[in-house]
Amino acid sequence: MKGLRWILIVAALAVLAAVPWFGSDVLVQFGINALLLAVLAQGWNIIGGYAGYASFGNSVFYGLGSYGVAIAMVQWELPFAVGMVFGVVLAVAFAFLLGLPVLRLRGHYFAIATLALAQVMIAIVSNLSIAGQNIGLVLPPLNDDRLFYELSLVLLVAATATVFWLTRSRFGFGLIAIRENEEGAAVMGVNTTLYKVLAFALSGVFSALAGGIHAYWITFLDPASAFDISLNVKMIIMAVFGGPGTVLGPVLGAFVLSTVSELLSSEITSVAGLFFGLVVVVAVIFMPRGVADLMRRFRTTGWRYFVENLKAHRI
Amino acid sequence: MDLLAQILINGVLLGGLYAVMALGLALVWGVLNIVNLAHGAFIMLGGYLSWHLYTYLGIDPFLGLPITAVVMFCLGYVLQRGVLNLIVRAPMFNTLLITFGLEVVLTYLAQLAFSADFRTINPSYAGSSIALGPVVVPVARLMAFGVAVALTVGMWLFLLHSRLGRAIRATAQNLVAARLYGVEPRHLYAMTFGIGIGLAGAAGGLYGTVSQIDPYIGATLTAKSFAIAIIGGLDNPLGVLVGGLVLGIIESLTVLYVGATFGDVASFGVLVLVLIFRPSGLLGKTA
Repeated sequence: MKGLRWILIVAALAVLAAVPWFGSDVLVQFGINALLLAVLAQGWNIIGGYAGYASFGNSVFYGLGSYGVAIAMVQWELPFAVGMVFGVVLAVAFAFLLGLPVLRLRGHYFAIATLALAQVMIAIVSNLSIAGQNIGLVLPPLNDDRLFYELSLVLLVAATATVFWLTRSRFGFGLIAIRENEEGAAVMGVNTTLYKVLAFALSGVFSALAGGIHAYWITFLDPASAFDISLNVKMIIMAVFGGPGTVLGPVLGAFVLSTVSELLSSEITSVAGLFFGLVVVVAVIFMPRGVADLMRRFRTTGWRYFVENLKAHRI
Repeated sequence: MDLLAQILINGVLLGGLYAVMALGLALVWGVLNIVNLAHGAFIMLGGYLSWHLYTYLGIDPFLGLPITAVVMFCLGYVLQRGVLNLIVRAPMFNTLLITFGLEVVLTYLAQLAFSADFRTINPSYAGSSIALGPVVVPVARLMAFGVAVALTVGMWLFLLHSRLGRAIRATAQNLVAARLYGVEPRHLYAMTFGIGIGLAGAAGGLYGTVSQIDPYIGATLTAKSFAIAIIGGLDNPLGVLVGGLVLGIIESLTVLYVGATFGDVASFGVLVLVLIFRPSGLLGKTA
């Protein structure tokens, strides 16, 4: 059983890696977007799914990663790889400087504080001349979708491997303990502050790398799109839709929802967003613990699964 | 000095409007423990409703406010009774997500129904203003401020003295106990959400007389309402009024002395600082 699972995963990876060699340009471009969104959902999973802190600040990491690459390549004429490192450094610095005070907040208050930080970052970057202010920056173009696709895939594998490591490491258990009962975790000797900040930084690293790849691929960025808060909401939806606090759930959620939204927007352009919203509402009501939980429990409970979810949370 | 006085007046007038925007959000958050990410979208809908009443039926935006509020109240009641009551006891992520889903739906519906063009409600007195010594007070803004303060104080009196208001406060404190005393939670939750959305609708009508409405203003207004609710606290409408005034004045001062693009930095910066130094909110309940 366990061997079979590994064979399946390796086969799926091989198929995914081969897509740029037989798929159309449209498919590859869709793939890059879906993979990067999956990386973001997986990154959010570390702080949101495992540590239980609903961060709305992960789009800040994404923006810092984008601007790290853009500033390094445009203003300092450095290679792409250096830009990625610069972006990661910015993200980690942000996670430590602002994570320390903000991670003291709980529940809604943490969510709102990170939301506010994201708003502040848009305004600050819009006023920095090195970041091109409101107008943004244009990067040197590189027409190699294959490269961007494979880079995104490698990043997703790295992010997923990290989350897999969480499920069997002392650090990961510490995060889960914090999510379930923070005081309890502290009593049991978990250094909660350190663990939370590290989880925030770790999720930031992956978001920043995804932002860097996206910036070089799109070759243009401005503050409003780089620090877009709806992107943060997207990663939360994808992670929660798939199953927060599971290894493959967020990836699954990102792939399924990207496909749904792509199909909708090609079939019924004007109302695609409307349907996306409806899917979210219905999903939250009937499968509040995500696709991963649905797949695990549906076999034993059948259609009663949905009714039981309804009964559990209604008043 | 005259300039400073003018800026302070502008800030106060703006702050009153901010307070009504946040009032409904704070009520729903405090009683139902739902942070309504669609709150700004409801404000936007209220604005459009008011605009249609004025443009097609010629109803003055201030006289039309009760109509807007009642229609929005009904929408809120039905939504809570039919949809949100199903997930009231779900984890925080889920309530955030479902209200975000509602925000997306409302924004797209508005875009389909009203197009993406921005609208302004321009009654005949929109351009006129009163001179108070060196300071100029625009009439429409002053009226919006007056209505805003009246609504806030009215809300405070309602929660304090009416039967329904007391039931709402009791539920916010202890649902089980309130139930034992005969409060029917499904109906009460729907009433509370309805009142919150009705207030959002009224705020939208007022907003339309002093600023522009388009289908996408919701998210920013939600974020601002958050900031005000946090600064002011959740359990007292007068606290929300203080929060609105603080934010309005800070924003106006920042725009004057630092630069127009820093208005949002100031308001959200204040929010972050309040959260860091008073993690449970300035006057609010603990998380």
